[in-house]
Amino acid sequence: MTDTASPISNNETIAAQATAPGRGGVGIIRVSGPLATMVATQLLGKVPAVRKAEYLPFLDQDKQVIDQGIALFFKAPNSFTGEDVLELQGHGGPVILDMLLKHILSLKALRMARPGEFSEQAFLNDKLDLTQAEAIADLINSSSEQAARCALHSLQGDFSKLVQQLVTDVIHLRMYVEAAIDFPEEEIDFLGDIKINTDLKDLINQVDEVMAKAQQGAIIREGMRVVIAGRPNAGKSSLLNALSGKDSAIVTDIEGTTRDVLTEQIHIDGMPLHIIDTAGLRESPDKVEQIGIERAWKEISQADRVLLMLDSAKDEHHNPQQFWPEFFAKLPKDIGVTIVKNKADVSGIATGLSIEHDTPTISLSAKTADGVDTLKDHLKQCMGYEGNIEGGFMARRRHLVALQAAHQSLITGLDQLESYVAGEILAEELRICQQHLNEITGEFTSDDLLGQIFSSFCIGK
Amino acid sequence: MWYQESFDVIIVGGGHAGTEASLAAARMGCKTLLLTHNIDTLGAMSCNPAIGGIGKGHLVKEIDALGGLMAEATDHAGIQFRTLNSSKGPAVRATRAQADRLLYKSYVRNFLENQENLTIFQQPCDDLILENDRVVGVSTQMGLKFKGKTVVLTVGTFLAGQIHIGLNNYQGGRAGDPASVGLAARLRDMPFRTERLKTGTPPRLDARSLDFSVMQEQPGDTPLPTFSYMGKTEHHPQQISCYITHTNTNTHDIIRGGLDRSPMYTGVIEGVGPRYCPSIEDKINRFGDKDSHQIFVEPEGLTTHEIYPNGISTSLPFDVQMELVRSIKGFENAHITRPGYAIEYDYFDPRDLKQTLETKHIENLFFAGQINGTTGYEEAGAQGLIAGLNAACRSQDKDGWTPGREQAYMGVLIDDLSTLGTKEPYRMFTSRAEYRLLLREDNADIRLTEQGRELGLVGDERWQRFCEKLENVELERQRLRSTWVHKDHAAVAELNTLLKNPLSKESNLEELLRRPETRYDSLMSIASFGPKLLDSEAAEQLEIQTKYAGYIDRQMDEINKKKRYENTLIPTDFDFSKISGLSNEVVAKLSDTRPETLGKAARISGITPAAVSLLLVYLKKHGLLRKSA
Repeated sequence: MTDTASPISNNETIAAQATAPGRGGVGIIRVSGPLATMVATQLLGKVPAVRKAEYLPFLDQDKQVIDQGIALFFKAPNSFTGEDVLELQGHGGPVILDMLLKHILSLKALRMARPGEFSEQAFLNDKLDLTQAEAIADLINSSSEQAARCALHSLQGDFSKLVQQLVTDVIHLRMYVEAAIDFPEEEIDFLGDIKINTDLKDLINQVDEVMAKAQQGAIIREGMRVVIAGRPNAGKSSLLNALSGKDSAIVTDIEGTTRDVLTEQIHIDGMPLHIIDTAGLRESPDKVEQIGIERAWKEISQADRVLLMLDSAKDEHHNPQQFWPEFFAKLPKDIGVTIVKNKADVSGIATGLSIEHDTPTISLSAKTADGVDTLKDHLKQCMGYEGNIEGGFMARRRHLVALQAAHQSLITGLDQLESYVAGEILAEELRICQQHLNEITGEFTSDDLLGQIFSSFCIGK
Repeated sequence: MWYQESFDVIIVGGGHAGTEASLAAARMGCKTLLLTHNIDTLGAMSCNPAIGGIGKGHLVKEIDALGGLMAEATDHAGIQFRTLNSSKGPAVRATRAQADRLLYKSYVRNFLENQENLTIFQQPCDDLILENDRVVGVSTQMGLKFKGKTVVLTVGTFLAGQIHIGLNNYQGGRAGDPASVGLAARLRDMPFRTERLKTGTPPRLDARSLDFSVMQEQPGDTPLPTFSYMGKTEHHPQQISCYITHTNTNTHDIIRGGLDRSPMYTGVIEGVGPRYCPSIEDKINRFGDKDSHQIFVEPEGLTTHEIYPNGISTSLPFDVQMELVRSIKGFENAHITRPGYAIEYDYFDPRDLKQTLETKHIENLFFAGQINGTTGYEEAGAQGLIAGLNAACRSQDKDGWTPGREQAYMGVLIDDLSTLGTKEPYRMFTSRAEYRLLLREDNADIRLTEQGRELGLVGDERWQRFCEKLENVELERQRLRSTWVHKDHAAVAELNTLLKNPLSKESNLEELLRRPETRYDSLMSIASFGPKLLDSEAAEQLEIQTKYAGYIDRQMDEINKKKRYENTLIPTDFDFSKISGLSNEVVAKLSDTRPETLGKAARISGITPAAVSLLLVYLKKHGLLRKSA
């Protein structure tokens, strides 16, 4: 049976930021699906008239105003996705948008849209031309990769360790609970033990702790990491100053962990950027300096983009790949590099963007700021600021949503265990909990779980 | 020579899969042939004499709900019945029965012989008769050819079986029976992917040589459970106890001393054994810190002295088997009646099967049971029934049917096999089911019997009883819903003794029953709330549905969300490499499995949501988006 009218109906309601992350301008949150009207009622106190822009306060669960802005409602099938769509255009600002999205996602049965999913849905509902299939596929691909990259970055360091520990502990607990259910004759029934109860409570505390830290933003990073590398005196510091400039950026000096790597967080047009100024990369017999260079390389390996600074007044700029083969050999393949030729005011070369030796190259003068805007545009493009691609804020929201849901499952599970000794319900809640955590750390199948059970307990008659 | 009659469905093999397949096809009105190499072993239990257990009991109830035989035969042959997990909530409760081998076998054989539309014939099947990529019949050892519209292969461990005892090994099916070598060789020539698996059994003992007084007795449960929805405890034969004893450090030393002559540890056995059913030498090797392992001493029947010591499956040389058995408490003077052994056998990668258990390479050919890499009577029976009914549908030019993962453990079993394949003998566990709270033993009939009736699998008597039970449940639900209790109700004082928090607002009886601390029986014992239903199965059903209501709703929500993918078919022979943007790894995984639906594709390990989206977009672009009926 071919159903042409509605080829594939999505009965889920999805929500996400529809504009790229950033601080300035207007931020749009889009809600698509059958529950869009419910969201409107909860958030605006009413469903806006179809296709009429209305200026309304956006309310949280206590009817406090989160933001004021334009609300637009589109009735299926006359909308971008072909489903009921609610669009909220707030005043932007990542924190406000994030609060709004958080509130929307806390409403019943909504989930965060996957990267590119609005467009996918539009395509499936005949809202986009068939010839756009390739473009949609590209969007899904690139935004998924970008999202994965953002997620990976927000997962570095302490947050990652805490979440991994959490997952390990959930698996451990599930192993006991599931073994007790599937192998009741094996003398491994721990459901009645205080152990499960204690472990469960520990786990809840752990999630509390991770969430608290994540909320403070202490351990989840957002934005793109740009590493400025280059020889000493290539003008790295001047570029940093030029980028962070007077009017468009806020410079926050974070004390470098070593004397060799300085991290600064700046915003370009509201786009968060971590600029890492590494020590000059050069051969050195000095032990201390060698350590500095090692650290610089570690920073580079975690970067989204590397700016290799060269002095256009010196010979090295003509063919950097040839001049610095060891640098390019050591550079991880998946990290993009941009050559920045500085001191155009001294050497007299023309400023602007070009492609040299397959590498984007920008000539500029950090001193006169000539060409710096070109670099800014280039960076914005690199981090998908101009496309409809999600950034670090969304990755962070995804993680927080998952943690929140995992937390709720654990609480319910504990209640079921304590009040009613309902092992099978605890098991169900733990399964759901793991499903949520999987969204952060990747898949863990029921067969993986059985594997854990069989390697930990001697099962079998 | 062609046999003069031709058949709609030909079943090769008369084990548990073959039995259910034959009966299902015959019940659906197909002219069915059951071809077995030995009529005397129809319905034989070749491993331990028990049916059911966690996950497996669920499968037996599902077979029963579709009119199958396994539950009924167990009710007539079971000599010890228990309900496992009775303290853990209805979703994970399961029935298990020790069966008298001879009673079971004769019940099955008798039933098969009396089944309308079913012909039984004894001859080893040697070959399949093909026309291009379609099977049209089978031929036997003596050259007799049978014409059939469809063929179901249920050949179990007989496919190129190799038996190992110590370093000796020889060709064989189950001990005492020949292996199916010709057919195995023929199938290996076809485009199926073949692998080896391994399983094993313990030595059997003579009960007269054992000292039961030093073992722990394990009687059956009271009240006595039944397996079939139509079963009655009056069907059960005499009930007896099982016993439990343990291995000790001396046993373990003896086993370690024999490992140099173990086919497992000297590399003679290549097949992969199950992780959950290790041989005793495996247990000792892998869990060296454990000083003792349980052995369930299970009687093989009422009229035999043979005992199945469950827990010491081994392929060690016979002298080591003797010594290790006699080191066990109660077994000091044990006489071994049959040695334990390991068996290796062929199985076919079940990812070459469709959801109906028809092979993807050869039309009208179906595989069921151990040939698909599963282990266990219950898993075999479940597949047999599904393969039989689908072969029958095919022969009648009707659409086939297989329950989904949300509908039955049968659905989980077949979806897991055909989507993920298996590397070890596949056994059912409840943790494999994501909708465990829906897939309960108590509601297999509600999940499946209606569909079974439509297919022609369910007879009048069962159908009548099912409808009656459903009606009782619904009427009682309506009554509970419309019976309101106010704070001033005369029975409130009595009611409050049953509640954790006293009644504060007007509630109906359904709401009161939903409270975790209340029970249907105790609520109904309050004079003005009763009388309770006399149909205790209906009452139980209503109580469980009410208690789990919130979770049932949540799981139903989850199922509805996934419908979108489950209903989206991927064309057969679809070339996944044509989709730009998919990584080589993803393309390889999809090409290996050839998933029939987007839902199956999404379940393959390593297939990301983005990959599924790309697949969906591609299908849409090329006008290939079709929904399954």
